[in-house]
Amino acid sequence: MPINAGAAPEVRPFGPLRGGAADAARSLVASARLAWAIEGNWAEPIYLAAFLIVRPLAFLGLFLAVLSIGGTLNVATIGFVVIGQAVFQIVSAALEGPTHALLDDRERYRTIRYIFATPSSLLPVSIGRSLVKASIAGFSALIVICAGMLLGVPMRTGGPDLLLLVAVLPLGLLSVVGLGIVLGGVCVQLRNDAWAYPQAVSSTVFLLCGAIFPLEVLPGPVQNIAAALPITWWIEGLRRALLGTTSPGILGAMPTNDLLLILAVGTAVIWLISPRLFVAGIDRAREKGYLDRNTAS
Amino acid sequence: MGSRIIGAEAASLIARIHGETTWSVGRRMRHAFASVVARAYPRVIGAAREPSWLFFDLVFPILGMCSIVFLLRSRGVDEAWIGSTILATALLSFWISVVWMMGAQFHWERDSGNLLLYITAPVGLGAIALGMAIGGALGVVIRAVIITLAGVLLFGAKYQVADPLLLALVILAGVAAMYSLGVCLSSVFLISGREADHLGSLLNEPMQLLGGVYAPVRSMGTAGVMALGILPLAPAIDALRQVAVPQLAATGILPVGVELLLLLVMTIVFGVIGRVLLAYIERIGRAGGKLLARAD
Repeated sequence: MPINAGAAPEVRPFGPLRGGAADAARSLVASARLAWAIEGNWAEPIYLAAFLIVRPLAFLGLFLAVLSIGGTLNVATIGFVVIGQAVFQIVSAALEGPTHALLDDRERYRTIRYIFATPSSLLPVSIGRSLVKASIAGFSALIVICAGMLLGVPMRTGGPDLLLLVAVLPLGLLSVVGLGIVLGGVCVQLRNDAWAYPQAVSSTVFLLCGAIFPLEVLPGPVQNIAAALPITWWIEGLRRALLGTTSPGILGAMPTNDLLLILAVGTAVIWLISPRLFVAGIDRAREKGYLDRNTAS
Repeated sequence: MGSRIIGAEAASLIARIHGETTWSVGRRMRHAFASVVARAYPRVIGAAREPSWLFFDLVFPILGMCSIVFLLRSRGVDEAWIGSTILATALLSFWISVVWMMGAQFHWERDSGNLLLYITAPVGLGAIALGMAIGGALGVVIRAVIITLAGVLLFGAKYQVADPLLLALVILAGVAAMYSLGVCLSSVFLISGREADHLGSLLNEPMQLLGGVYAPVRSMGTAGVMALGILPLAPAIDALRQVAVPQLAATGILPVGVELLLLLVMTIVFGVIGRVLLAYIERIGRAGGKLLARAD
């Protein structure tokens, strides 16, 4: 019996960015659901909630305890630290998320090769995993902000500046996820300690972005690097949207419109570059056989 | 029909089996010592062979230390606190090692399949845990020294140690109590299953806060004072601050001698509890067949 192949099957370009927008959207949704199952299903909900609450509050308590060495704390200082600490929960999760997802899939679950055998592409898969990690961290951020309110931090009169919040929140989140996927593309090349690099980057960014202290405390040249980071302006933008006040020093001197412009330009530049770097990194890893590697680290 | 062993030949065989399987106390001690050295060896020598481990073991604490120092400087506090922060970071590197290289170690060993090898080898888990502790502590010493030197060079901290012997005693007692607690944690991590990694995370920042690592434990109120009695970090850092940074001696909660005694008691109590817990997990692991073998 002759076999009728019918219409010629769609030929998909080979490489990490295969498939059309529909495939990408499906991949993103599927990976987000998978990420939720991984990140939220490791314990009973009560333990998960405790974990998401205790650690960020301990971080906040640690910083406030250190600040209290210098004398009685005023609520403005507490507010500065609370928002910085809260937002950095999200920054840290989004920066480390894509790398940890790639390495988990490669070494822990050993499923990365199967993603190549499906119409899915690694880029939306990584973005989906990262966004869910950032969302879970967002819960911790809310807890920290609520704790700040209980400590008497004065929030903006009349509630958050929704217009500013809607403009700043997605821009900053996109910029951090963009940086996170670049890290993923780089770290998948590494033999040793690939898991540790995103954490090292995240810790460095924490030091530079004015999350818990004003930029003026940093040495002169380092202040310029700090001011060039979109994350610095994201945190400041969210402080203005939530607290209704500007931070002291360099951060506060920037007009809000300029801050938005810097954030938008920074995010656009990151997204112009980061998918290309990610694709190049994954292509290289595939050619060199790194996608099958198990570093046992 | 197989050959039968009877009479003098059987008695000789029984004696030989007894001789080979019933060890004298001396032989058991020598064997345990050899096991401790064998487990400590890769902790010291193996770690030195992997420069990237050293790099990350230093980078994370130093970045954390810089954040706290800048936070303190933003408040214009006495420079003595900078010196205290540097010492606290160095001591914290031992705690991190206790959590991840003692607490989580058996959990990782099970996932890599090594734990079954330990169980089948003629080595007690106690000797393995002691080897991990001694090797881990020796391996961290060099990291702690580098962190302290880096802190002194970066931030110009100054110390006035009037009694170096007391300082050494405080560090030794603190490290011993922490690693003794680590032996207990190794059993807890093993039982906690896939929550182990998250348990490790919970033992970092919350314990730093409760232990008064960067700010005096007094700022934590009752919880902080209670931590002095159960968390080795708390009396260790409090005593270290009093001995190495005399300007901050007034912030001490208890006299150094009392804190040394507390650390000694913790070392003994945690050691005994750890030994009991190890025997327990070995027993239920052998009986159930699940606890000691990897899931897949």
